[in-house]
Amino acid sequence: MKTMIAGLALAASIFALPAFAADTANIWVRADGSNFMPRIVDAFNKAHENQIKLDIIPNAEIIPKYGAAAAGGTAPDALSLDLIYTPAFSAAGQLEDITDWAKSLPYFASLSPAHVKTGTYKGRIYGLPFSADSSVLIWNKKLFKQAGLDPEKGPANWAEIEADAEKVNALGGDIKGFYFSGNCGGCNIFTFTPLIWASGGDILSEDGSKATLDSPQLRGAIDLYRSMVKKDLVPAGAQTDTGSNFFAAFAAGNIGITPSGAFAIGALNTQYPNVDYGVTFLPGKDGGWSSFAGGDNFVVTKGTKKLAVVKEFLDFAYSLEGQTILAKYGSLPVRGDIAKEALKDLDPRYQIAAEAMAKGRTPYTVVFNDLINSANGPWTQMVNEVFFGDDVDGAVSNAQETMQSIIDQAPQK
Amino acid sequence: MAQARSRSSRLRLGIAEHATGMIASVLFLAPIVWTVLSAFKPSQEARLPPLPPWPTTGFSVENYGTLNTFGDGLWLPAQNSIYVSVMTVVFSVIVSVLAGYGFSRFRFPFKDLLFVVILSTIMIPFQSILTPIFLVLTKIGLHNTLTGLVCVYVTLQLPFSIFMMRNAFDAVPREIEEAARMDGANNVTMLIRVMLPLVWPGIVTIALFAFLGAWNEFLAALVLMTDQSKFTLPIMMTALQSGRFGAIDWGAVQAGVTVMMVPCLILFLLLQRFYIRGLMAGAVK
Amino acid sequence: MTTITAETSAPARPRKLVGAGRRQWVGLLYVAPAVALVTVFFIIPLGMTAWMSLHNWPLMGEHSFIGLANYWAILRDTRFWNALRFTGWYTLVVTVAIFAVAFPLALFIERPRRLTGFYRTSFFMPAVIGFASASLLWSWLLNVDSGLFSPAAFDLGLTEKKVNLLATFQPAFWSIIAMVVWKVAGFTMIILMTGLQSIPSELQEAAMIDGAGPFARFRAITLPLMRRTLALALILSVAGSILAFDQFYIILRGGPRNQTLTAVYWIFNQSFVSFKLGYGAALSMILLAILVALSTIQLWLLRKPEGVD
Repeated sequence: MKTMIAGLALAASIFALPAFAADTANIWVRADGSNFMPRIVDAFNKAHENQIKLDIIPNAEIIPKYGAAAAGGTAPDALSLDLIYTPAFSAAGQLEDITDWAKSLPYFASLSPAHVKTGTYKGRIYGLPFSADSSVLIWNKKLFKQAGLDPEKGPANWAEIEADAEKVNALGGDIKGFYFSGNCGGCNIFTFTPLIWASGGDILSEDGSKATLDSPQLRGAIDLYRSMVKKDLVPAGAQTDTGSNFFAAFAAGNIGITPSGAFAIGALNTQYPNVDYGVTFLPGKDGGWSSFAGGDNFVVTKGTKKLAVVKEFLDFAYSLEGQTILAKYGSLPVRGDIAKEALKDLDPRYQIAAEAMAKGRTPYTVVFNDLINSANGPWTQMVNEVFFGDDVDGAVSNAQETMQSIIDQAPQK
Repeated sequence: MAQARSRSSRLRLGIAEHATGMIASVLFLAPIVWTVLSAFKPSQEARLPPLPPWPTTGFSVENYGTLNTFGDGLWLPAQNSIYVSVMTVVFSVIVSVLAGYGFSRFRFPFKDLLFVVILSTIMIPFQSILTPIFLVLTKIGLHNTLTGLVCVYVTLQLPFSIFMMRNAFDAVPREIEEAARMDGANNVTMLIRVMLPLVWPGIVTIALFAFLGAWNEFLAALVLMTDQSKFTLPIMMTALQSGRFGAIDWGAVQAGVTVMMVPCLILFLLLQRFYIRGLMAGAVK
Repeated sequence: MTTITAETSAPARPRKLVGAGRRQWVGLLYVAPAVALVTVFFIIPLGMTAWMSLHNWPLMGEHSFIGLANYWAILRDTRFWNALRFTGWYTLVVTVAIFAVAFPLALFIERPRRLTGFYRTSFFMPAVIGFASASLLWSWLLNVDSGLFSPAAFDLGLTEKKVNLLATFQPAFWSIIAMVVWKVAGFTMIILMTGLQSIPSELQEAAMIDGAGPFARFRAITLPLMRRTLALALILSVAGSILAFDQFYIILRGGPRNQTLTAVYWIFNQSFVSFKLGYGAALSMILLAILVALSTIQLWLLRKPEGVD
């Protein structure tokens, strides 16, 4: 039998009949996925005739590279794409419509809703969830204990965040109460907006057509951060941190509280086993909680000839085996129905992140990059100004105006 | 009496001059030395301010190990970088020696125009024509190949190196050439046997320039290469810079900068005699 | 420049003999590889850029011809003009700073004395490091928590607490200037040194006998005789500074608060962050026109037949 298959494969390669040959599909992932992606690709390649060739692209470069490659006709067959970009990619007509296949999946209804929402454009599905990451609040139990706080209880509202941070900060020396990346749009949409959402506000309207920065909830959250900066609870480096220290600051062990993501659980456990930390939800002003549902959507380049291989791979990723591999190496499961099972042997703190994921929100806009992520965009500029600058009103109204004009200028299709 | 005073004042002046020179040298060398030394700290220590610069908690190559965990590790991009740089050197030397000789010794239609066009490419911000370059590479089947990258790098070197080589050839007296021609040398033997030894410093200069240019270039490499197995060292450096999971590892950054820097410094130290002579010969004209 | 070419080379041609005529084409053969490369990888892409600048050309999806609309949009693009103004300011400051450091260094190493070789080598060393590596190196040195400058100033008691040098415009801007001077001064120094060495020493001696002081000699002899060298150094410095990108991208990300966005940075942003390739192409054409104008002025300085050299 083996020889026959081999013979067939040989014949296929000679007569160039791709339908019979083992195919290789090329997939890209951004560097954030460099932990779990190679593992799941390895597992797939070992168990399947068809193969996946994986390329890991630096985070900031994956989109320009994909665009250039698509223009030159050398795009990969599929990529694991930051889910917030799926609307823009779908709008550009770059992606394969996979609605029918997606809806035929028996577990379609239990796939992460935030992913499916961003993966849907004008009623058609172009992206399906692949990896997931939700924002949470983490605190250093050792420092809490030293500061006389209950190490098992994280802050549950804004007042508690500030009070706890202040107590930890009082330990002095290199120890600081709170950390955030003050010059990073992506970090703050991930960890700062949930504070607003949990209090009932939002920065964009539901359909992404209006910027809604002028809200008391945003002001309240700004005041919280400003007050902590003013009391010197935050290290000086935060003001210029463009995200490169987003995680490392807490991992060094001298920060009391920081908003972070589910990825931190895996990264802390493997790279910084000495840091004893707790995980809780990002709270609203007076309690309640919210989270940013982030991660990657799996999208297929329009017109690829390797669709079958790509589907086979995604099937594998959605299997319990695939979901377990993902969970083990730093992504939350994206199938709600088997999430508990995939996580059962792992750190129980993942359960909180998974719960946050299930209820998490994601802004929907085709100009996410220009509005939010760009280091020179209005959101990044605003967070830096309102946290550290003097003119909060001016910064907010300026950002509101710029964001609205970017939305209005976006290509309407 | 007067002589003694002038000698002692000359001595004071000499000391003052050397003190100034030493201080300036230290200022210029310090950042380099600081990085190379700090890279040998264990990664925990590398996170702290580098005071003093040398490792205090034990010498370690841990940071180089960290560097090796990015993407395909350190060796593969290093190989790619070496290949690209060496090929860029070889081809830009060949092309610019030929062109420099042509522009210096021959008259032909549109000569000045061509020369000015080649030189003026130095004014184009090539970041802005990267996408078209990518499309052109795709068209001629060189996209995503190191050869394609070499072609782009050679082109980037041309304005400077052709300018240098033309000046170098111009500086060779015509009599030498005429004497050789009397002996029956044709154009090609003339170039190789007679001219090359005379413009050697110029060639070393453009070779070193080409190497430095290709070794250090990151934006074109980043945009043009899509296959991870063909990434060069500077692409890896951008990964270092953005950090992984928002965790910049300053130790790995120091190690990475050292890896990028040291080959350039060594080559320069070995070749600086020729290099500075060549640069001077080129600039005087 | 092309008209001059036509005038000077055209009349010479008919007078050539057959052998010389063949030699002409041989010359073309020698420069052919270079011309081919420049054509394929510069002229054609440049043409495509010009073509793209007339389109609404997103990174992905269909593009459409919109005539000069991109150029009209540039007129209203205040952020581009701000970026251009900042680039001009930066170019001015950094060029002055480079010359202010490189000229004394050139005078210093030009006089043969002990250790000159060592001094020259150490001043030049930073010039062989790539801009990206140098920027990365300095972004570490300038970091407030893990870097060198702020902690050192704090430890020495110069500042009350660690100052984040990159957080506000002035210190951030001057840090970049310091970094660029550190990296580039050695190169400019060598170029200036070549100019200094080409000045006949008899001239200096004659002036000294006439009782001219060092400053007067510098103004009356050194500067005028170095006109062309100065112009070359100036062109390289100005062209390099107007195209500045790496250091602002890597160290500052255009911050604090987008105050250090340069022209190329803005083009990069429009093309590769906002993916408006057509608009980015139009911006490139504008920048190119500015550079060509500036360089023509400088080339004219370089070619001016005054002076002895």
